Amino acid sequence: MEVKTEQFSEVAREELRKAYTFLKAGANFVRIRRETALSTFPDAAAAQAYGAIIRAEAIARLPELLEKFEKNALSNGAKVFWARDANEAGQYIVCLAKERGIEYVTKGKSMVTEEIGLNEALEKNGVKTWETDLGEFIIQLLGVPPFHIVGPAINIPVAKVRDLFMEKIDLKEPTSDPVQLGHAARIFLRDKFHRVEMGIAGVNMAVAETGTIVNVENEGNIRFNKSSPRTLISVMSLEKVVPTLEDALHLIRLLCRNCTGQKLSVYVSMDNGPKKSDEIDGPEELIVVIVDNGRSRIYQDKIAREAMCCIRCGACLNGCPVYRQIGGYAYGWVYSGPMGQVLNPLLLGLERTQDLYRATTLCGSCKSICPAGIDHPSLFLHYRAKDVSGDAALRAKKRPLVERIFFRLWTWAVTRHRLWNWGVRFVRPFVNKEAHEGMLREVGGLFKGWFRSRDLPAMAGKTFHDRWTELREAESRRREPGGTE
Amino acid sequence: MKQSARDEILNKLKAAPRKTIPPRPERPVLREISLSPEELIETFSKNLSQEAGIVHRVEDRREALEKLSQIAKEEGLKKVMATTDDFAASLNLAAWGKENEVQVITPQDFDSRDSFKDAVFEEVDAGITGADFAVAESGTLGLVHNKDQARLTSLAPILHIAIVPVERMVAVYEQVVEKVFGGKKNLPSQFCFITGPSMTADIRGIPFKGMHGPRKVIVILVGE
Repeated sequence: MEVKTEQFSEVAREELRKAYTFLKAGANFVRIRRETALSTFPDAAAAQAYGAIIRAEAIARLPELLEKFEKNALSNGAKVFWARDANEAGQYIVCLAKERGIEYVTKGKSMVTEEIGLNEALEKNGVKTWETDLGEFIIQLLGVPPFHIVGPAINIPVAKVRDLFMEKIDLKEPTSDPVQLGHAARIFLRDKFHRVEMGIAGVNMAVAETGTIVNVENEGNIRFNKSSPRTLISVMSLEKVVPTLEDALHLIRLLCRNCTGQKLSVYVSMDNGPKKSDEIDGPEELIVVIVDNGRSRIYQDKIAREAMCCIRCGACLNGCPVYRQIGGYAYGWVYSGPMGQVLNPLLLGLERTQDLYRATTLCGSCKSICPAGIDHPSLFLHYRAKDVSGDAALRAKKRPLVERIFFRLWTWAVTRHRLWNWGVRFVRPFVNKEAHEGMLREVGGLFKGWFRSRDLPAMAGKTFHDRWTELREAESRRREPGGTE
Repeated sequence: MKQSARDEILNKLKAAPRKTIPPRPERPVLREISLSPEELIETFSKNLSQEAGIVHRVEDRREALEKLSQIAKEEGLKKVMATTDDFAASLNLAAWGKENEVQVITPQDFDSRDSFKDAVFEEVDAGITGADFAVAESGTLGLVHNKDQARLTSLAPILHIAIVPVERMVAVYEQVVEKVFGGKKNLPSQFCFITGPSMTADIRGIPFKGMHGPRKVIVILVGE
């Protein structure tokens, strides 16, 4: 998937003009549903906190749990392949498809396969891919990135879906009824499911204790992928592992309530290896691809690795005042909203994602919502600090020389009060030359960038110190004998 | 020698600075755990109805088959795929089919995946299955997939009818998982929770049923 994280400001500005009223209303609706669903726990806060503890433990015990998962998955009869990066994962899966003479694959929604650009790799090698989640299907046909992790095509107007389906999947009667449009997609994809020989799905949770793979979905497309074809490839990013099945169940409860406000999604399927020889459906081979793609590097940073706790529920998007204004495109890659703001910078490097960890009010709504206990605002500040110090592991480039010199001088000056007091008096006339109607909106030169998104009132004529001194002098004059009193 | 990707990744993870594992408070337990059998059935029915599932209660197998006949008539069923799991098998659906002029086929009638798929995708009007569990906390069915519970039977047809003895009702998922996975060496290839009909809201957030799987799920609960 093309990375456009560096165009955050431009895209965000464009998107702001579109005024996504449905996004604001929809996000509120989902938020209420979420709260109602969470209230089915005797103690919702304790349930959320327990989820966070499971994820924190999973990440703390990551290497051990991965080995345990692998051992149990192998003994269940699955194959396990480890991929260092997107390229290795893609090549391996392309190779599997080629060896089996696969013409096309069907896919369940999987963020990690978008992250590693799997569709592009397969198509380049002559293997047609069909996304089968309705939203993913629509954005695949349109060639646009996901707008929201849960509803990837939620922003696409019905008329556009209608025209798309008439052009691409032979929709006969033009209709603006989402139900009929969905039905047309059902008919089209049903034939693909019927004859498919290789299915590719993601993994919501990989259970270390049993080697079980868990998928959570509403449409049934993942179940088709896990039932119809002879070969099933389950692609997981390596942080998906959880210690026990009981932990998985608790996280599933949280995932569904936080994601769509359901108690449980329509389907939760748990696979332990391929089908048995006497079963008529289900995969003859189940191949688990464990993708690193930078995560073992991120794991070296004790603070940043907290981002790996994410269970991809998408609740933080609906709660975010920034996402609710600009939607998902500005984030420029697979993951959007606060989730994307913590994940994309780690996976792509801090240098290429500068705006992502700065486009935040640090209000902490995401943190208060997160069932995985991620402290997004603290991570944003951590990234900023690492960005300034030029941390190599997180792929930060130091700030530009001019900026670094400026802040060196600034630090020196502001820690010397005489110099500071003199300085603030001295600069006033120069700064206020740039002011219009009492406001500093655009300032040229060095500070141009800083004022791009900030307005300041013009500086007062006198400093507080000066005014204080004057006031005190006036007061003491008043109290002097013979004064005006 | 060059390290394998596996070893390289695991070694990097192991070499990273360690963090302490947070202590675990008590595992949160749902209220449903303390419900009586009758309350469990009520809760199950309420939850499943909320997800657009249909629940019928009957006293015994005979009544279950009567209900099934009624459904067959209403839905215009001509041909159905029925699994041979213990409870579905105990209903003798073949005989029921003859009486009701519904052709009942089972996955066992097919000798290949492809011919089974042709039938289950294209030919049948409904899939009829038993279920290993009914879970009250969310109105959920639990199906262990094996040779007698083919996966596509409850997925590919537009209508799924599940006939479940009430004794199989439990409060929460943990009770199911304990029975299916607990201390077992040979795990089932797949276990599945099903809560109502397949659905989506991917076009403009407008929800509808029957996206890829069944549009309707009918559960017949059998027993006092």
